[in-house]
Amino acid sequence: MIPTQLRQELEERVAQAITPREAAVDVMKGLQGHYGWLTDEAVAEAALILGLSTLQVEELATFYEMIYRRPVGRVVVHVCDSISCWAMGSETLLHHLEQHLGIAAGATTADNAVTLLPCCCLGNCGNGPALMIGDRLFGPVSPEQAAAIIAGHREDQ
Amino acid sequence: MPKLIIDDIPVEVPDGTTVLEAAQSVDIPIPHFCWHPALGKAGACRVCAVKLLDGPVKGVQMSCMLPAMDGMVVSTTDDEAVAMRKSVIEWLMINHPHDCPVCDEGGECQLQDFTIAGGHGIRRYDGRKRTYRNQYLGEFIEHEMNRCIQCYRCTRFYQEYAGGTDFGAMGRAAIVYFGRQDDGPLESPFSGNLVDICPTGVFTDKTARFRARYWDYDMAPSVCPHCSLGCNTVPMARYRELLKTTARRNDSVNGWFICDKGRFSNAGVNAPERPRQALVGGKPVSLAEALDALATLLGEFLELHGPESLAIVGSPRMDLAGNIMAARLREMLGAGTLCLFNETDRAELTGKAVSLLTTENSSSQEDMRNADLIALEGCDLLDEAPMMALAVRQAWRSGARVYMVGTQNEIQSAMAPPFTKGGPGGILQQDQTANPPQSPLGPRGSFVKGGHNREATALPFAFEQVASLADVPLAEAKRPVIICGASRTGLESIGEILSDSTASFDKGGLQPALKLAFILDGPNAFGCAELARRHHGVALSTALADGRIKGIISFEADLSHDLPQGITVLGAADWRPTGLMTRAGVVLPTTTWVEQEGIFVNNEGRAQRFKKVMNPGLPIKGLTPELHPPRVHGIDAPGGDVAPSARLIAMLMQRLGETMAVEPLSGPWETLKDLDATGAGVMIHKGEQE
Ligand code: SF4
Ligand code: SF4
Ligand code: FES
Repeated sequence: MIPTQLRQELEERVAQAITPREAAVDVMKGLQGHYGWLTDEAVAEAALILGLSTLQVEELATFYEMIYRRPVGRVVVHVCDSISCWAMGSETLLHHLEQHLGIAAGATTADNAVTLLPCCCLGNCGNGPALMIGDRLFGPVSPEQAAAIIAGHREDQ
Repeated sequence: MPKLIIDDIPVEVPDGTTVLEAAQSVDIPIPHFCWHPALGKAGACRVCAVKLLDGPVKGVQMSCMLPAMDGMVVSTTDDEAVAMRKSVIEWLMINHPHDCPVCDEGGECQLQDFTIAGGHGIRRYDGRKRTYRNQYLGEFIEHEMNRCIQCYRCTRFYQEYAGGTDFGAMGRAAIVYFGRQDDGPLESPFSGNLVDICPTGVFTDKTARFRARYWDYDMAPSVCPHCSLGCNTVPMARYRELLKTTARRNDSVNGWFICDKGRFSNAGVNAPERPRQALVGGKPVSLAEALDALATLLGEFLELHGPESLAIVGSPRMDLAGNIMAARLREMLGAGTLCLFNETDRAELTGKAVSLLTTENSSSQEDMRNADLIALEGCDLLDEAPMMALAVRQAWRSGARVYMVGTQNEIQSAMAPPFTKGGPGGILQQDQTANPPQSPLGPRGSFVKGGHNREATALPFAFEQVASLADVPLAEAKRPVIICGASRTGLESIGEILSDSTASFDKGGLQPALKLAFILDGPNAFGCAELARRHHGVALSTALADGRIKGIISFEADLSHDLPQGITVLGAADWRPTGLMTRAGVVLPTTTWVEQEGIFVNNEGRAQRFKKVMNPGLPIKGLTPELHPPRVHGIDAPGGDVAPSARLIAMLMQRLGETMAVEPLSGPWETLKDLDATGAGVMIHKGEQE
């Protein structure tokens, strides 16, 4: 169950949209902010708020890579693996971070602190290899810089 | 009308035609997966590449995305285009299993065909393949996601074309998944079409999996007998077993699709309890002996009671020839009555509905798809005529206004029963929770706000509710259609509208474009109403009411009430184990619609021929070794001593002294003799043959 206030906010957001689908990302992000990830319960709630079926919410949720359909750590690190970053060494960067964090790409550290996700273009092609944490973009980053950035975020949490 | 040249052939096509369709119009096939005539383009598969050598656009292009333009010079055989198509197929095959021999789609698979056609034979990719878990999608459709090539046809059909909300595309990039959110039966009453439109083996008909290959099937153009719409089908059979039914294109009627009732109601044909043995007084005899016995019985009956105490009973379930022959038999015997309908009301209302229809004002499903206003009165589309709901949805998607006549309660009770797969003669049923549908005034594209379960039985379009037909702004529309159940109130209000409109049309008012559609009861109800009109038929209950009738002979008739005990059932012919068959002195087993040729006249008045698909007889599957192979020499298969009702009546008439060969399609029906089973059908409205 989400707090009444959040529900009302989200319903207002939908009411402002010309078609409810337009508001889907905002609704999912709102729910994700509340639960930490988009839980099954959240999908059902989003469906109710948007007037879509749960499958239709699932279609959207699984399309956007910043919507998490599985539990994630407190810090989520998106490492771009699109072509420009790949040309600038993102493969090495990702590999390095896997070793540094002791997890495979896609996994979360045992202390639930960090999730490492390769992702599609971050729109930061001029500064590859790039990574993103929350709303902040970084790039170009060396493996050492990346490790330092993650360490910084870990402390903030 | 752009003029272009494709592979040296000059082509002229209407505006808006794609290069792919232009090529098809001169029989140049271009491989395509995502493009589908009913779904349009998606540009997802890239396999339809052609090269434009000259004109307004140049280079390699996707022919399904490109509108034909004046001056285009297109090559489908250019090296660059051929190489592109070959590479695309190779990419599509990267994740596809290499196991056609164990895939049920093999032999009827577009991916197989286009892979071979594209010249890709040797796989170079030796990496790991992407694999998925399959879902349980109910008892009718099997899911094998590894075979998917991401053409998006399934979800475009399911959600956009058919308005389903429980199936779609999830994920992105290299891991797109087509399925439901959770395992469970597909909710759409049109879900079976996934089997036909998926170009590979992701969806196969679970009721017939691994039973035969395409080249093994007995197939023929046929017509669905499960409601009055007469959708066109291709039933597929093997070893005297009807295995599956697929949709057959008829642009005027069902378009490319059929409903699940029409697709999955095959069980009755194969049912072990189906009558296959002629009986006289409960004793097995040959069909010929049974007819001899019936002739004798009939002679005695007529002598004792006189012809006016005999009723010949036909049925809207029986094909036209059978009913014509029933009328002939009655004429020959001078029998009291011809009964082609069971209930008084049904006979009267069907007759009334048919009399209101003309070739000009009768609405086809195509007219519905193109309508700009549709009014629905007194009908439950999903239950009584499912494909009409799909047709109305297409009109609604292109902006038509839809009105539902009735009070909220009437509308809800009309829509409450869940759509059941199985239908007449079927045994398959799928339970779906029947939540009362909400007034579905959602935005276009999603028809109900709120949780998705309640959509299971809701109509796939939004509508406005009005109290009476008079409140529908028919005059504002250019192509209005009224769809009506054959109910008293519906017919009355339509009668009023028609007389009003003729009156106001005379004064230059309402345009003559108004079209009507009635939902009738049975695949040949229109034909029966027409015959009843010509031959003064009455309903069986009317005939019984005046007390003259003492005996009946029935052909493929269903009785909703028990026949009074005093009535002798001299003979009954049917392929279904009805109550009449258990009471009949002589039991005559008949063929089903897939074991004979025939004609059904659909709700519009369109006569459509269906061809014989398979030989009658007990399906080999399930036969004990004593019966297969047969140990006694004979021409017929075990259980194959059956005949179409029309032939049974002709043989009976011969035994009763008729000397001429009796041809059902003669006199006013002569024109239907050459009716082409693969054509659009022929209208038979009153006056057409007179
Ligand atoms: S499941 Fe079939 S129809 Fe759907 S995208 Fe895959 S190949 Fe196309
Ligand atoms: S709508 Fe009627 S005729 Fe058409 S496929 Fe369904 S049951 Fe058969
Ligand atoms: S058919 Fe043209 S891109 Fe798929």
